[in-house]
Amino acid sequence: MEDLGRISQLVIPIMGHDMVFNLNVIIMTWIVMGLLVFFGIMASRKRNVLPNPVQVVGELLVSNLYGLTEDALNKERSKSYSPLITALFMFLLLSNWIGMIPHMHEPTKDLNTPLSLGFMGFVIAHYAGIRAKGFKNYAKAYFEPIFFMAPLNIIGEVSKVISISFRLFGNIMGGSIIILVVSHLVFSLVLPPFLNAFFVIFIGAIQAFVFTMLTLVYIAVQVN
Amino acid sequence: MAIEIESWVKVAAFVGAGLSMGLGAIGAAIGEGFAAAKANAAISRNPGISGDIFKLMLVGQAVAETAAIFSLVIGIILLFSNYSTASIISMAALLGAGLCMGFGAIGSGVGSGYPAGEACKGVARQPEMRGRLTTNMLIGSAVSQTPAIFSMVVAFMLMFLNFSGAPLHPTSAALLGAGLATGLASIGSGLGSGLAAGASCEGSARQPLNVGNITVIMLVGQAVSQTPSIFGLLISFVLMFKTYPSSELLGASMALLSAGLCTGFGGIGPGVGNGMTAQSAVTWVARNVRQESVLMRSMLVGQAVSQSTAIYAMVISLALIFLI
Repeated sequence: MEDLGRISQLVIPIMGHDMVFNLNVIIMTWIVMGLLVFFGIMASRKRNVLPNPVQVVGELLVSNLYGLTEDALNKERSKSYSPLITALFMFLLLSNWIGMIPHMHEPTKDLNTPLSLGFMGFVIAHYAGIRAKGFKNYAKAYFEPIFFMAPLNIIGEVSKVISISFRLFGNIMGGSIIILVVSHLVFSLVLPPFLNAFFVIFIGAIQAFVFTMLTLVYIAVQVN
Repeated sequence: MAIEIESWVKVAAFVGAGLSMGLGAIGAAIGEGFAAAKANAAISRNPGISGDIFKLMLVGQAVAETAAIFSLVIGIILLFSNYSTASIISMAALLGAGLCMGFGAIGSGVGSGYPAGEACKGVARQPEMRGRLTTNMLIGSAVSQTPAIFSMVVAFMLMFLNFSGAPLHPTSAALLGAGLATGLASIGSGLGSGLAAGASCEGSARQPLNVGNITVIMLVGQAVSQTPSIFGLLISFVLMFKTYPSSELLGASMALLSAGLCTGFGGIGPGVGNGMTAQSAVTWVARNVRQESVLMRSMLVGQAVSQSTAIYAMVISLALIFLI
């Protein structure tokens, strides 16, 4: 129970300022990235018409997410954006699922990870919007329907970053807190596997998909 | 004097436990009743598969009850914990935890009843689709539980974080406000995302070929209808983790309490409204899948406009917290 809300931090003072590193999150993020690179190598090594099991999983992920990207954007743009969408989904899925393993923590449990990913999506969406429509048309969208709506439109755009990142963070952290507290209450008997199956596997997969789809939709709204 | 405060904290814990379970029971019961009513209609339509419909109804009701079980867990912890670091602040925190979980369970309970009921109806209509409808129902109700999960997180934080160093006066109001913000804002979001999930179950029974598209637009619609509860979560976090200067003024305390109330009440309407938009978009994607991208875009724009009221409420809350 005492684990609740404890973070191991590394504080390095540089020129009067403290630089704070959340060690757990950084280490776990690197583990997830390493596993993904390993998965990529395994899936694309010895490619064959009759694929090996890892290649099947890789092909499924890539082709399904490519199809979703193509539905939302057009064919030309989906070529440049689908690698991003696929990588985002795979990273989030593995990040959410890695908490099942004892002593591993989900990187998405720390607000910094979802917030930076959400901010990344925001920047990419607006960059795509400016590139597709030109700066003038892009800026004009803020002054609709009337010019004095501009501040509220800007707040609305910023609140998208807040909502997308807090949704992922709240779900993953909520799931892990519930697993921790309920397992503690029942002395870790019977219930924990079911809790893990629901909150980690099920909710984790859904929230990874929702985050990816919303990033894609935000790009599509800016582009079209 | 010490005994006096301890007994007051006990009182707050008991009241919180009662509110948590009492309010939390409202939603789940309505949702389960809705599922049972639809299951009855479904059985009379297609009596041949009454066994399957009955099983599906029970599974759907079990998921709809999750929110009430969250309330039960919070209620039990409130009743049986011992509070060694008793102070007036923990009174507010415990009461806030109970209110948060109680209000937060209402919307999700009602909401996850809709997909359960519509799935029963759908199985009666398309018995072949049983497996796919069950999956769709489970995904939809699980996402509808998100606002209840947010409320539970805030309730746990209010119960277990240590606020004893903070100044008594604005902090106790802030903690009560933190509980109310997420709790109240979750009502609308839970109900709204349930509406979208129900429409998706109905739609996949109507048009089994388009299940993939229907699930995608359901998830996006639900995610957007949950934004008001996320604003509530944000305001709760700000209220809990900001450090306040000690102040005996009534105004400072009331500003923080009403910051919570503002985002809380402000989130109810947008949550339900966005859910209605999503419901209709999902229904029409099922009927006219070729127009999916246009429907998705108009749904998102409409939801963004109806969500602006929740954003106004959040702006006012932030102003109340930081400016006053």
